[in-house]
Amino acid sequence: MSVAPHVLEVKDLVVDYYAGKTRTRAVNGVDLQLGRGEFLGLVGESGCGKSTLCFAIARLLGDNAQISEGDVLFAGQNLVYLREKQLRHLRWRGYSVVMQSAMNALNPVMTVGAQLTDAMKAHTKISKRDARQRGQAVMQLVGIDPIHLESYPHQLSGGMRQRAMIAMALVFIPDLIIMDEPTSALDVVAQRSLMIQIKELQRELGFAVIFVTHDMSLVARFSDRLAIMYAGEIVELGETRQVFTDPQHPYSRGLLSAFPSIHGEREELKGIPGSPPDLRNPPSGCRFHPRCPSVMKICSTAEPPAYSPRGTDLVRCYLYADQEAEHIQLRSVP
Amino acid sequence: MGGLLSRRNLHAVDDVNLRIHPQEIVAIVGESGSGKSTVARLLAGVYRPTSGDIRYRGRSISTVRSHRALRSYRSHVQMVFQDPYSSLNPVYPASHGITRALKLHRPELGRAARRDEAIRILESVGLTPSAEYIRKFPHELSGGQRQRFGFAQALASKPEIILADEPVSMLDVSIRIGVLNVMADLRRREGLSFLYITHDIASARYIADRLLVMYAGEVVEQGPVEDVLQHPKHPYTELLLSAVPDPRAPLDATAKADIGEPPRVIDPGEGCRFRWRCPYRIDTCDTITPRLRPLRPDHEAACHVAQSELSASEGARSSGA
Repeated sequence: MSVAPHVLEVKDLVVDYYAGKTRTRAVNGVDLQLGRGEFLGLVGESGCGKSTLCFAIARLLGDNAQISEGDVLFAGQNLVYLREKQLRHLRWRGYSVVMQSAMNALNPVMTVGAQLTDAMKAHTKISKRDARQRGQAVMQLVGIDPIHLESYPHQLSGGMRQRAMIAMALVFIPDLIIMDEPTSALDVVAQRSLMIQIKELQRELGFAVIFVTHDMSLVARFSDRLAIMYAGEIVELGETRQVFTDPQHPYSRGLLSAFPSIHGEREELKGIPGSPPDLRNPPSGCRFHPRCPSVMKICSTAEPPAYSPRGTDLVRCYLYADQEAEHIQLRSVP
Repeated sequence: MGGLLSRRNLHAVDDVNLRIHPQEIVAIVGESGSGKSTVARLLAGVYRPTSGDIRYRGRSISTVRSHRALRSYRSHVQMVFQDPYSSLNPVYPASHGITRALKLHRPELGRAARRDEAIRILESVGLTPSAEYIRKFPHELSGGQRQRFGFAQALASKPEIILADEPVSMLDVSIRIGVLNVMADLRRREGLSFLYITHDIASARYIADRLLVMYAGEVVEQGPVEDVLQHPKHPYTELLLSAVPDPRAPLDATAKADIGEPPRVIDPGEGCRFRWRCPYRIDTCDTITPRLRPLRPDHEAACHVAQSELSASEGARSSGA
């Protein structure tokens, strides 16, 4: 990874959900740094906490969730302690979020253009004419004819609505865009063209991306680094190519071998036995140990710390304890 | 002809011909709205075709009127649904659907025999220890286990065909393969046939023998799954294959964003429905709807360009005979 200053730094973040008296720890001590203009793929299964992590970073958690520990450093401020009013200055302009349900996130009774103008007016002083011009510019950026500023969401196809949402996120060209499964509602063809477009925009405009997905092959071509999440923790983090060619954590290996391919030999795949744990009652020790093919005695009793074997940024697994005794030292912000 | 099911001429789903042979897994792939689920529902008898015929073991099911005959058809052709979270009744043990189906479709079994049979079925879908699973309620099960119950429920009536409509798309990626393997096992051990509906062409390749590619309500290509993947003849199949995210695929830097939009299926008119997105479009495509024609052994595609290439290379021999 480059030595460029971090655009985002997440330190030891813990997020809990409360339902009555039960507490569910959905994010359990996540550390993450994101370089300027970096594309990070955040991969995990449903319920692993990847969306919660993103919402926590963006401070969009609902009332039943709270950040219990940790820091989110962005643009020289700790987002965890900011009030709504202060956050408003950063939202859209500093960072923006493209939601998973982007297809339904548009207001059906307003034209796309009116919604864009709305967002701009809420976050900056801008004249009607400038707002209009900027609206046209971002629509062109995402490859939609600006004529559709006059369209209502139902007049656009799914792919176009999704691109319109991305256009809104781009309105102020923020430093960071968090995308929570923006392509999961699209079919493969539309999905691929959207990915190519996001990547081109990112190269052109230089924003950093956290791209959440459950399909790691989707980001294989597009992300610089890959973070694999399991049961509320990042279990492996490294350069995308490295993670694909030589995954270190048994979960990453299992996940990679769980996808059938359209290339090469047709071979029988095993997947990963068992199913993801219930976070209300997570397994002791390493949370993956009940499903792990390489489980050892220690795994059920102690939580594995973060190791960094063979050029990876982080692997949370005791397999690497003797290979590398040194624990990751968290770099602090300058 | 020898197929368990055959059918012609449907409208919302247009002019689809499809055969499923004993012990065969046929996959239908296509984007959302392409009509693939409608095909499954037609076969299951949920919808009735506007025109055309569905035949099971040579007998047309559209003429079936009696309750008993319909029940017998349904016991032989079962369906597994996409969402395992809404297809099990939460107030009964998950095995309720199995015992109910056993009572209904196999009345000859007594109480004890029913229980034994339920246990055997649960074992066959990998839910072991079965004696334990038979008592569990849906909320005690994970998504993968629920979907296995979905298959178990379908198996209870001793079907010959299971219509599986996106059975793994709601499941976590790490457990999808397990459920696909259940289907492969059932085919091998119990001799079942499957119609596997999916948007994931890689999973279709994983278990299916034959592949149908649907676009805008029509089958645009069909053939043995490996042959279709190795030698795609329809430009939509090519597009689909190039769009599959696959880290093991060779890297092609030239891959361009597809500018096209999904087709309108209401009043499509004459002409190829894919022509607006097609890189090979010729004049004929605007005026004449292409029909499926064999282009390789047992492999058909509905594309004027591919067909004319073939007839050009084979001289004057007509390709449609």
